[in-house]
Amino acid sequence: MYKYDAVDKTIVADRVEQFRGQVSRHLAGELSATDLAPLRLRNGLYMQIHAHMLRVSIPYGLVSSEQMRALAQVSRQYDKGYGHFTTRQNIQFNWPELADVPDILQDLSNVEMHAIQTSGNCIRNISSDHYAGVATDEIIDPRPYCEIIRQWSTLHPEFYWLPRKFKIAVTGATEDRAAVKFHDIGLEVVVNDAKQVGFRVYVGGGLGRTPVIGKVIKEFLPREDILSYCEAILRVYNLHGRRDNKYKARIKILVNAMGIDDFRDEVEAEWSHFKDGELKLHDIDFETMQAFFPKPAYDNLNSGDDRVAKWRDLDSRFKAWYDNNTVEHIQPGYRIVNISLKEHGVAPGDATDAQMDAIASIAEQYSFAEIRVTHEQNLVLADIREQDLLEVWKALDAERLATPNIGSVNDMICCPGLDFCSLANASSISVAKQINEKFNDFDELYDIGEVKLKMSGCMNACGHHHVGHIGILGVDKKGEEWYQLTVGGDATNNAALGTHLGKAIAKDRVGDAIGDILDVYKDIRTGDERLLDTFRRVGIDPFKEKVYAEDS
Amino acid sequence: MSTTKTVANRAIKARAKGTPDRIQKDIINANAIVDKKIVKNSIHHVAETEELSVADLPQGDISVPMNLWLDHKAELKKRGGIVAVQIAADEFPEDFSEEYAEISSIVLPMVSHVDGRSYSHAYKLRTRFNYDKEIRAIGDVKYDQLGFLTRSGCNAFELPEGENIETALKAFTEMSDVYQPSTDGGALIFSRRRAIH
Repeated sequence: MYKYDAVDKTIVADRVEQFRGQVSRHLAGELSATDLAPLRLRNGLYMQIHAHMLRVSIPYGLVSSEQMRALAQVSRQYDKGYGHFTTRQNIQFNWPELADVPDILQDLSNVEMHAIQTSGNCIRNISSDHYAGVATDEIIDPRPYCEIIRQWSTLHPEFYWLPRKFKIAVTGATEDRAAVKFHDIGLEVVVNDAKQVGFRVYVGGGLGRTPVIGKVIKEFLPREDILSYCEAILRVYNLHGRRDNKYKARIKILVNAMGIDDFRDEVEAEWSHFKDGELKLHDIDFETMQAFFPKPAYDNLNSGDDRVAKWRDLDSRFKAWYDNNTVEHIQPGYRIVNISLKEHGVAPGDATDAQMDAIASIAEQYSFAEIRVTHEQNLVLADIREQDLLEVWKALDAERLATPNIGSVNDMICCPGLDFCSLANASSISVAKQINEKFNDFDELYDIGEVKLKMSGCMNACGHHHVGHIGILGVDKKGEEWYQLTVGGDATNNAALGTHLGKAIAKDRVGDAIGDILDVYKDIRTGDERLLDTFRRVGIDPFKEKVYAEDS
Repeated sequence: MSTTKTVANRAIKARAKGTPDRIQKDIINANAIVDKKIVKNSIHHVAETEELSVADLPQGDISVPMNLWLDHKAELKKRGGIVAVQIAADEFPEDFSEEYAEISSIVLPMVSHVDGRSYSHAYKLRTRFNYDKEIRAIGDVKYDQLGFLTRSGCNAFELPEGENIETALKAFTEMSDVYQPSTDGGALIFSRRRAIH
């Protein structure tokens, strides 16, 4: 993975001291809370209902064992012994004291981590495919491009006070696991007929109050131009994006208002001034960066391990885990292992300090000391030898990290909701528990198959409900928590926004409504259709009729 | 500039002059920071109002809204002392490219420090119009904005009353390295690494 050089170290160290100064000026009464707010946000520090929340950056979701231990230590020393992995592949701590945060950031800088631009109206963490480098459908490893964009966008002086937050994602595979069409800028790798590497550039996608699927602004952008082209988009957005209404300030609103063709013209005109200037990248830049992400020193294993079949036959729990939580690897004899952070009864995405320490050790022993965070709030051990699967499973199971539910209804994405967040209208975590409890029969879950269930506690959509196969949105109705359901959303290549099911549902009926939707699916599915496929074939009506049958 | 630019600008421009994108009251500060040093300030920044006329302008050094400059350039040039010209956040430097040779210094009035448009204005003035005279940020400009405003092309600042201007000088030395080029001579990090190969 990427290792800091002297420049990176200097910048992060200076940044810690700068923030220490800002906090001490605030505590001394020289910097008002109002003026501190945008500064602390740009260091990942929010004010929530009960306390501050610190969001630490995990660039494109890649974290080393050493870093994971440091995160565990932060949660132990400064927080309540757990952390929350987010849909932006970051981690959040819910209980730090303001005065401690400079020390936390200093501790993190010792393991090459920071919280720069994890919040605020600036360029946020670059996100990517959690299977980068090991996916069987990969065309180009996206991580070097992510890191190049990360460095360029870090403390960019001109784009620090944008109209609104700005999110960039990169995918290098055939299947889009990075939801690039739901980002302010999405980069999808393309190798053209001349074997040149470049990107199809999407702009103006996003979720939130106004969900929009990104539009193609450029069919083929040569890779050497990614920084200059991003800069041109950012400059047009910085100057033209609305600043009078925060709910209309994202680039998607600007792109829709201008129309993609006029927006493209504006960007191209801006770009023409400096496209062949100093932001142009050279082949050596990519080669140098790719060298930080080498193919690991894999053992030469011709094929898989025969014992895996025997283990699956003789232990149904292992079999369930293998079938649901592991994925084919590009290297013979290896598997990708997903670590489920969706244990029944635990807030989705949460991990304790002990679990983080254990994961660090397991990764060290079996997976080249690296872990990935997924945007579905799970973790990944990317390089597990098949012969080690039984031991890895046992080690994860001992830490309650082997719940065999990846991709199922129980593997839901969920924001912190009303339990923590000052924006939320409704709680998410308790509804997640309700759903977990309703669907506690794993055989039934496996029969239902892949269902992406995504839940947000308010229309800001941190839980990505618009792109859930089933989406749940918490709303406030006269002080009560109600929930709106959608069906048919999809964050991947065939990007789609979910269709509204009908009027909002009372909190205690959410689990039943999900049950109704899945019952309809089981009744009418054909072949090996997923819920999403069935919905695409039959539309919303059959689901609607069943869920609201009692009302009619 | 290309005509597409102008057309698009007009379509997007949300507010007319005299709205909160422009400073509402004259700004007069005792001190300024110029080229990282504290100096006595003499410039009276005149707010853009509907009634503003050349006859009403105060004596001495002034900055005036771009619209006043465009309408009364000849008269303004006859005045003694400094006549700086303001470019508001919702104006576009490319619309005034023929003026810069005659403008002795540019003022970027910031109504809110969270509004980043003036950063792009400064950047364009320096890199696209090669404006090499003073660019001064005024208004809601404090310690924590000075570093990036400097990188983007501003070399002079006036802080609001009550801000500790001596303390704010530390802003210029807080960050000792950068990842990306701007107007300050910073190079793209990859070109620096490339150079050793």
